[in-house]
This record gives sequence, structure tokens and C-alpha cells, in this order.
Amino acid sequence: MNWNCEQIEASLSDYLEGALTPEEAAQFVAHSSTCAQCKELVASVRGLIGAMHALEPVAAPVNLMPAILNSTIGPRPSSGGWRAWFGWTRVILQPRFAYGALTVLITLGVVSQALGIQWRMPTVADLNPVNLYRSADRTAHLAYAKGSKFVGDLRVVYEIRSRLEPSEQDETPQKAPAAAPSSPGQSKTPITSPLNRAESVENYLTRLASGVWIVPVRSMP
Amino acid sequence: MLIDTFHYVEAERHRGLEANRQLEPEAQLVQQCLRGDGAAWEELVRRHSRRIFNLCYRFTNQRQEAEDLSQEVFMRVYKTLGSYRDIYGAFGTWVTSVTRNLLIDHYRRTRRDRLTDSMEDVTTQVESKESSGMRPDHSAAVTELGEHLQIALAKLSPDLREAVILRDLEGLDYSEIRLVLEVPEGTVKSRINRGRIELARVLTEMGIRPSYRN
Repeated sequence: MNWNCEQIEASLSDYLEGALTPEEAAQFVAHSSTCAQCKELVASVRGLIGAMHALEPVAAPVNLMPAILNSTIGPRPSSGGWRAWFGWTRVILQPRFAYGALTVLITLGVVSQALGIQWRMPTVADLNPVNLYRSADRTAHLAYAKGSKFVGDLRVVYEIRSRLEPSEQDETPQKAPAAAPSSPGQSKTPITSPLNRAESVENYLTRLASGVWIVPVRSMP
Repeated sequence: MLIDTFHYVEAERHRGLEANRQLEPEAQLVQQCLRGDGAAWEELVRRHSRRIFNLCYRFTNQRQEAEDLSQEVFMRVYKTLGSYRDIYGAFGTWVTSVTRNLLIDHYRRTRRDRLTDSMEDVTTQVESKESSGMRPDHSAAVTELGEHLQIALAKLSPDLREAVILRDLEGLDYSEIRLVLEVPEGTVKSRINRGRIELARVLTEMGIRPSYRN
């Protein structure tokens, strides 16, 4: 006896999941291959099942898990167990940490090159606290001396430059006597000029010091 | 056709193996939770929160509702963890069962609100999605199919909807669904079959013909 459309509908999932006996499957195919309506139904349900299985799960909201934990066990204590001590290590696993660490290393390398620090493998003697102190003291003094020399050089350069190319600030007071020929006794060099220049140097050094942290501006000679 | 069936059965078998692999550690995690181990509870939540959220989302078709319901599910699971027994099946099945009960409660609670809503809203939603045109990439097409599927699922009766979701979207086998729905396996099979046919018809009416290319 051949199957009808109702039997095809009732057995559709069993057929698609391979749960029919060979005889039943043969009856199913015999009808569904000749009935256009059933053929269409089988194709659409098969497509639907495949599509649903291929459907990716929806991403859960980011705050769902913290909200669940807060509403069940409450805010987690941050000062208990080994997780609290080593919780920060999770940050290391993030790519941005590697990027940041690499940037810091490159910066340190460039700065150490600029300061003339030469790197070598440490020896046992280097680990002696006395040697460590001496090394740090020497490095600090060298850095201070280099900074002082740099600022001194800059000051000399600025002094020379200001003498060769008088600034507009210096020129303005010089024009004033020229405009007043009735005061012949007045000196060509204005009284305020050295003072202004000294202030300019001070301002310049202050600006420089704000960019170079190692220079102690107040203690400069 | 036979190859399709073979792949389907293989996929089912693989899913079953995955479920078995998770069974033992989860039973241990439950015991640890009962002893007050917060980390064990966190691990259980991590394993199941996404799945439960998906289940709620597929059923309600509302992200915010799904989020609230997921939270409610885990609160209830946490409170009743001591009553969990192996006879309820795997821990995941038990959580699914709790979720299903909450979803049905939620469905009944919000039934009056839904009845007052005009069905035109859904129709308008479908029409606006259809008029937006097909996007070229496959992932967009899959997303669109998922959206259409959500709308079509919402048109099914809750009995058929939950059966189809548990079987075809959550990948539970018949015995697990029987435990979750607390109905005989024959009823489970019948609901799934009717749900699939109904869903395919709704999608056809919407002008959608789902197809699956491996």
C-alpha cells in the first residue's frame, strides 16, 4: 500500500534523521518523488534543519556573566586566594600588553643609547649591594653632569646668538633714543637690555627644564 | 540524500560525545559549589551562560528580556543547586529544564501584553527587512536568515517552538528534551516534526527558502 501525504508529513523528521526502516524509507521516497507538494515540503524542511544547525549562536552581552555572578555569589572578594595575587597576570596574555612592553623596551634602548649606557651580561660582582650603589651613583652623577653640560652649552649658544642677532625686544628700546635726538647724553645700549636678556635666558631654561626632567634649573650655577 | 543523513547522524553522535565529556567535571563542579567554592560556580556560569542566553533569546526574540531571564535562571539554579540530582540528567539538561520552566512562566505572564500587540508590528518588521535587500556577503545572509527565523519562531505555538529550539538550535537529543519538557518521547518527536513543518511553511509564506550548503 502506497503512502499518502499525511503519512509523509508524519514521518518527515524520522526520514531526514534516518530513523525509518528501509521499507518505510522506500515508501517515503516513492511518494515524495512523485508528489510535487511533498517533494517541496521535504526539500524546505531539509533546508531549514541544515540552516538551523549552521546558525551561529548569538553572542551573549558582555555584562551578563558579571551580572549573574553579582546576583548569586555577590561581588567577588578581590583579596582572597592565589587568584587575587596572580590575577594581574591575565593582563599579560592580552596582545596590547605585548605591544606596550615592546614599545617600552625600544624606548629604553633608545634612551640608554643616548645616555651612553653600554649593556653587558651581569656578573656576580655586579650583584654586590656596594657595587650596585656605586654604579647607580656613578650613573646618576654622569647623567647630572651631562645635563649640566648640555644646558651650559645651550646657554653659551644662546648668548652668542643673542649678541650676533639682537632680538626684537632689544631693538625696540634702541629705536627710542634715535627718535629723541634731544637727549645726547643717553647711552646707545639701553639699561634694560642685559636684564631683559637675562630674563629671556631664564625663561628659555625654564621651558627647557620643563621638557628635560633631569636638569635641576634652580641649582644651576 | 543518504550522505546528508549520514552527516546528520555523525553530527548528532559528535554532539552526544561532547555532552558526555562535560558530564563528569560538571558533577564535580556542582559538588564544589555546594561546598562554597565560588570559582566552581563561576566556571559553571561561564560554561552555560551563553547557551542559556541563546535559548532565552530564541524563545523571546528580545535581547533585553533574554538577558534578564538568563540572570533569573542562574539565580534560581544557584538557590536550588542542592536539590540537583543525577536522576535529572546532566547538569546542563537540568539547567535547560529550569530555563524552560521560566520561559513558560514568562510566556504566560506576558501573554496578555502580546495579545494586545497588533500582529501588524511583526508584518511591518518582516516587510522592512525584505525591502532592505539581500546583502552580498554570506555572513550577512546568515544573519538575515537568523532574523527571519526569529520572527518565524515567534509565530509558532510555545510547545512547538521550544521543541524545535531545543532540538535544532540547542542540539539536545530526544531523551534530553523528554527530561526538559517532561513529556513522553513520542510527544517530543511529534512536536519537533510538526514544529519543523510549521516553521518551514511560515518561512515560505514570508518568501524565505532556507537552504544549507555544506
